[in-house]
Amino acid sequence: MKKRHVVQLGLAAGLVGLAGSALAAPFTCPKKGGDLVFAGEAKVNSLDQYSSQTISTRNVVSNIFEPLMTRDETNQPILDLAESMTEAPDGLSYTFKLRQGIKFHNGKDMTSADVKASFDRYAKIGIERAFLVNVEKWEAPDAFTFIIRMKKKQPTFIEDLSSFSQPVVIIPAEQKDAEFLRLEPIGTGPFQVVEYVADSHVKLKRYEGYKPNTKFEQRTGFGGYKVACVDTVTYRIVTEPGARVAGIETGELSAVEDVPTKAQAQLKKNKNVVLVPLENWWVHIMLPNTKTAPTNNLAFRRAVQAALDMDEIMDASTDGAYKLNIGFQYPGRATYTDAGKETYNLKNKELAKKYLKEAGYNNEPLVLLTNKDYTSMYNAALVVSEQLKAVGINAKLDVMDWPTSVNRMIKEKDSWNFFYTGYGTQPALGPLATMKFFAGGNATPSPPDAELQAAYDDMITLPDPAKRQEAFARMQKRILEQVYAVPFGSLTKVQAVRANVKGYKPFRIPRFSNVWIE
Amino acid sequence: MGRVILRSIAGAIPVVLLVTLITFGLMRLIPGDVSAALGGITSTTEEREQIRKNLGLDEPVHVQLLKWYGGLLRADLGRSHFLGKDVTTATFERLPVSFSLSLYALVITLILGIVSGILAALRQNTWVDQAAMMFALIGVSMPNFWLGLMMIVLFSVHLGWLPTGGYVPFTQDPIGWLRSTTMPAISLALLQVGLLARITRSTMLEVLRQDYVRTARAKGLPNYLVIGKHALANAMIPIITVIGIIVSLSVSGAVVTETVFSIPGVGQLLTSAILNRDYPMIQGGLLFVTLMLVGINIAVDVAYAWLDPRVRFERG
Repeated sequence: MKKRHVVQLGLAAGLVGLAGSALAAPFTCPKKGGDLVFAGEAKVNSLDQYSSQTISTRNVVSNIFEPLMTRDETNQPILDLAESMTEAPDGLSYTFKLRQGIKFHNGKDMTSADVKASFDRYAKIGIERAFLVNVEKWEAPDAFTFIIRMKKKQPTFIEDLSSFSQPVVIIPAEQKDAEFLRLEPIGTGPFQVVEYVADSHVKLKRYEGYKPNTKFEQRTGFGGYKVACVDTVTYRIVTEPGARVAGIETGELSAVEDVPTKAQAQLKKNKNVVLVPLENWWVHIMLPNTKTAPTNNLAFRRAVQAALDMDEIMDASTDGAYKLNIGFQYPGRATYTDAGKETYNLKNKELAKKYLKEAGYNNEPLVLLTNKDYTSMYNAALVVSEQLKAVGINAKLDVMDWPTSVNRMIKEKDSWNFFYTGYGTQPALGPLATMKFFAGGNATPSPPDAELQAAYDDMITLPDPAKRQEAFARMQKRILEQVYAVPFGSLTKVQAVRANVKGYKPFRIPRFSNVWIE
Repeated sequence: MGRVILRSIAGAIPVVLLVTLITFGLMRLIPGDVSAALGGITSTTEEREQIRKNLGLDEPVHVQLLKWYGGLLRADLGRSHFLGKDVTTATFERLPVSFSLSLYALVITLILGIVSGILAALRQNTWVDQAAMMFALIGVSMPNFWLGLMMIVLFSVHLGWLPTGGYVPFTQDPIGWLRSTTMPAISLALLQVGLLARITRSTMLEVLRQDYVRTARAKGLPNYLVIGKHALANAMIPIITVIGIIVSLSVSGAVVTETVFSIPGVGQLLTSAILNRDYPMIQGGLLFVTLMLVGINIAVDVAYAWLDPRVRFERG
């Protein structure tokens, strides 16, 4: 390796830091102290980030653990526990220099041995460990250097590594062999765990030994210059929406994760409460089973696509908190494309009937596999069912709980035709994370499709980001034209905070650093 | 009395064994497993398979069953997939929450149920009777979650007297415990008061017509002695049976109340375990609940024998 170059993002982080230092001082808490009581809508099933991909787990642990790299406010990769990252010109190695003086919550210094141990555990049990498939090995030549060596070039490796879906968070080396779901929640983040009572709450407190990342002046995304302003955070699990609304009204809760649409008008009148809409929370979607009749017939799938009125579906699913959205990225983002728009929101009954005739459809039952755990999915299925009946399709709902519906989708491939789900974190992470659902028959039984696979391969292997984006557009168009998925639109999630809670800005999930109580 | 207890315990053993077997079988028959809960809404098939492998759920069912029974023989109920602790520890952490809430609810139920039942019987076909029975009917008919939410709106949002939810252990702060459990206990109790009031009323009406009550009155005994000593004591057998059922329901069936008020009790523990397909927790948790219900039944049997000498002689 004769020559190395610092990749753009490492340089960018440094430049931001230098430019920022000339312009403004790093963030300081206008006020310190207090207990921020946050109400989450779902149960936190584990604090082991290697073992759980759920949003509720991420809500808590992203304030406790930190990775080498993460994403900024615009979703671009940035350095977090790494001081710098250098990619070899041949793309076959990534060298990370670690920030020094970082201590774990147990007081131990973080070194490259901990980073190595973290990657070892992730490779063994991490749910998303498949992104390490092209990695040959990793090594720690000295206490603050960590090198990842690749078997072959993977231009999107840093995009994967910086993903916050299930990041390789850095844990003390002693925990390397912690079994699945058995990780002690000891990280390097601004908050440390005091108590975790399942089904009830997680109590966090400020980690006094925390060292903010001085490359930045402000919090950005899940990284940047983070400071714990509040003494403690009580993350309470309040699954009942009415109780969350009551709690934010009384002031017993400082912030709540999800406010039902019907309660928003009432809360808007309360001068002590501020609503914080988080647009583009997830893409609502139904996936066809292309291996079973009648959805194994493209003309039939196109009939379904033609019959749907997305406004009606999204309105019923979300009580009006939605945006129509073509495809798998959110409008307004650099990666958004409307490729395949001619297939979306057609609400054309005549066209649907034409396709049905072409498909030779003879009133075979069409099973819509949905669940009641996610009300929006159930409501979407109800409306779709009625719209399809209106064009002469014998649509039937099959309603079960979420784990059962997932299991049935995977294992009983002959028993359903459309499966209801939603993509949230992945569209936020970018096209690559979302498109993996359609490559290699991953999430839904889709047929081998050479054109689709070629587009995906280009998305992974092309060195030029613009070319990768173009490949994404091709892939999205192919998916929509072949009706391998029917995205309905995107949901808005409305959070709420008490008026005296300042600095709270949702970024997919709650961030408790740089938030203070007046 | 000792024989009554021994016979009850002997009769309970096959019940417990049968329940463990049925629980194991039923959970394996229900589709879906822990991988969907852990993998989240957007996990891929491969990722979910990875989770199953990590947790040993790819082993044949009979191997899993044998392992579980092997553990049971060593008093080891296994570890919860999610909670990161022994099933026994997890259950014992929740039992005080459920017990204290149930006890509080039971006290409210007994006071309201028995008093209103007795009053209704003593004033049969008067406005007192009708008011008591209407109150009982409203308690049974009102949806539990709705009542809970209405109480939150009234007592927390408007009056600001009580917290909207959460649980404070009695040992940590007795006043905090009282504040955090009052609304859940009332919500739970009102559901049961109707049942107890109605059975108390009907049993009392039957007893009050007996010759020995008439004799007691003829002897000139004061009313409170006639009611308290002669009538109520003889009406207690069916009432005790209902109280046993109420206690069982309170401990194991308070899921809705626990959810509305965000209380981490046994009901929530088991519901989460079932929804997440946390097999060791479901099996172990249900075993505990079964043992508890069996214990309550034994206590009811003992109470029969204590209250009614005929039972002692028949079963002894």
